[in-house]
Amino acid sequence: MSAMLAALNPGWLLIFVGVVAMFLPARRIRQSLAIGAPLVGILMLALADQNVNHLTASVLGLDLVLYRVDGLSFVFGLAFLIAALLNAIYAWHTDDRIQDGMALAYGGAAIAAAFCGDLMTLFVFWEITAVTSVFMVLGAGTRASYFASMRYLGMQILSGVLLLAGIAYVYHDTGDIGLQVFEDLAQPGAMLIFIAFGIKAAFPFLHNWLQDSYSKASVVGAVVLSAFTTKLAVYAFARMFPGQDSLIWIGAIMTCFPVFFAVIENDLRKVLAYSTNNQIGFMICAIGVGTPLAMNGAVAHAFADIMFKGLLFMSMGAVLYRTGTTKASELGGLFRSMPWTTLFCLVGALSISAMPLFSAFVTKSMILSAVAHAGLPIIWLMLMFASAGVLEHSGIKIPYFAFFGHDSGKRVKEAPFNMLLAMGMAAFISIAIGIPALIPGLGYEWLYNLLPYRQEAMTYQPFTFDHVLTQMQLLVLATFAFVLLKRFNIYPPEKRGEILDTDWAYRRVGFSMANWAGTVWGKVGPAMTSVFFKLSSRAYDRIEATFSPRGELARGGLTGAMAVWTAALLGLVLLLAFISVR
Amino acid sequence: MSNDSPDGRDTAGRFMKQAAEKAHQLHTVSDDGMHPMAKILFGWTETKHIGAIMFWGLGVFGAGLIILDLVVNRHDYFTFANSTGFYGLYGFACFTFVVLMGWPLGNLLRRNENYYGDAGGPPADVDPDLPETPDLPSHPDYEGDE
Repeated sequence: MSAMLAALNPGWLLIFVGVVAMFLPARRIRQSLAIGAPLVGILMLALADQNVNHLTASVLGLDLVLYRVDGLSFVFGLAFLIAALLNAIYAWHTDDRIQDGMALAYGGAAIAAAFCGDLMTLFVFWEITAVTSVFMVLGAGTRASYFASMRYLGMQILSGVLLLAGIAYVYHDTGDIGLQVFEDLAQPGAMLIFIAFGIKAAFPFLHNWLQDSYSKASVVGAVVLSAFTTKLAVYAFARMFPGQDSLIWIGAIMTCFPVFFAVIENDLRKVLAYSTNNQIGFMICAIGVGTPLAMNGAVAHAFADIMFKGLLFMSMGAVLYRTGTTKASELGGLFRSMPWTTLFCLVGALSISAMPLFSAFVTKSMILSAVAHAGLPIIWLMLMFASAGVLEHSGIKIPYFAFFGHDSGKRVKEAPFNMLLAMGMAAFISIAIGIPALIPGLGYEWLYNLLPYRQEAMTYQPFTFDHVLTQMQLLVLATFAFVLLKRFNIYPPEKRGEILDTDWAYRRVGFSMANWAGTVWGKVGPAMTSVFFKLSSRAYDRIEATFSPRGELARGGLTGAMAVWTAALLGLVLLLAFISVR
Repeated sequence: MSNDSPDGRDTAGRFMKQAAEKAHQLHTVSDDGMHPMAKILFGWTETKHIGAIMFWGLGVFGAGLIILDLVVNRHDYFTFANSTGFYGLYGFACFTFVVLMGWPLGNLLRRNENYYGDAGGPPADVDPDLPETPDLPSHPDYEGDE
């Protein structure tokens, strides 16, 4: 039994149970399955040997590796399984068969993709994540979410198509579809795969599907979405593009630009989506650096991010659930009625801000150290800038405007117990992996032990006096800046409104052009048709008037004109034939 | 000792009853809508002069951290990062810059809430007891609508 469990990809289990759950009307049985499947999955993963192909297949001459665990995929798979468990607990109060089933299958697809050993299997699960995740947006049931989900699906499928095209190139060039490290982006196959991953990782200018869909998703859907897609892309980059120089700059830009949008954005779930861009930037930048320390940092930060970003989305979900909005301009003072949610949100905020004793402190410092060791001062300054920025929007803005600040007068019930439990568990993990290893093997050492370059990880010391002092300086003085700006009333007020971003290009310009093209076609099409009909009918009339039995030629002055004309035409044909043959 | 003492009178019983009452109080929301845990966890945020206390407290703490930098000999990889208070001042400057950029960027990029024509109500899975939010248009215009 244990041998069978160890040979099965846990992602498949989740997909299978998810699909079954979709057809189960008994709510509690369905939800128990959704909680049980990730637990069994974690057990399966614990039993599986690393660096062994547990399950392979050969289809149409392609050698597929369906289940393989190694140091890199283990951390991502484990984080995805924990996220799937927390999501299922968070969704306990709902009764939505499709959302329950698809959420589980979506997590399962991400896990299965992380544990596959070839590009073709990766592509299949890559697409399954796209198709299953769209139900998280659709679940909101509003028309806005319907349109957003279609835009989301378009982007995700585009990523899949590019990936498939890239795989075709790679297979054509090398005859190998195994997961490999691509060093030369000049190869079209590598470039296409790079862009496909870039779409899912929400690279600059390709990032707006994230803000668009996460903010319009259902309460539970946004939490589910926050865990998988982008982090699967981070895994894929870590697997196939480690040390790719261009990723350093792309990552650094990704950390910086969302900060400005997050400051002026009113919808707090959108702020969190920008914050997702920002955090993934840190990981992408580290993957670009590519040293063992940097890779460890990227992987550890991905693990920590799945927990604290999930936690922040859960807390905003709880606010949305009880108040019906996440707009900062309409919230404030909610700590009075939702103290536990406030507490957990603060844990998430402190974690993402890399406060000592919280998770990002032990993960992000690895990335910053790796960038410094690589001798990249400008990149390092950009990441430090982004660290101050993330403190602004996720560390202070989210909890301050939702739970403190100006009292909105909203008096609601505390979040349902299952939501609090899921938040409590995520908060526990965020603290547990951030504290010093008072008991060897626990605290941050537990996470460091799982990292792909374990030995390098275990020699890294996050809790040095210098680290703690410098980080505290950054955080305290930046927080002081907030208090100062608030005190002198120069902090920009939260205003309702839509903030333009690069999606303006397709939501406004592209959409208008498509509309315009439609309108033009609607008018030009019939006009062209009528002109064509007029011309052809006129031509027909002329021909008929000339050649028909009642036509001009038939009743012409010369008797037997047809015979003469026929002879003339035959002569012409003969002449042409003679010329061309000669 | 008789067994028929009234409820809550004998020692163990009273203890149980008091504990139960206390636990009950801890999630009974008071008339002003204040959750009892809120008072315990965050009651301090409503004390008088909390703004001034935070301002001066953080200011003094931040200054202390910079002064500490004078005493400690840090070994940063970049020489500029070794200068006194670099992290604090850089953090302060970045934070202020980001926030102040919010003014011009807000003016430049903020549009009407229904700019894309998709402003609408909350998702379907919010609290069913939630009262209808009155400030939302009852029939919002959607993109694609005639």
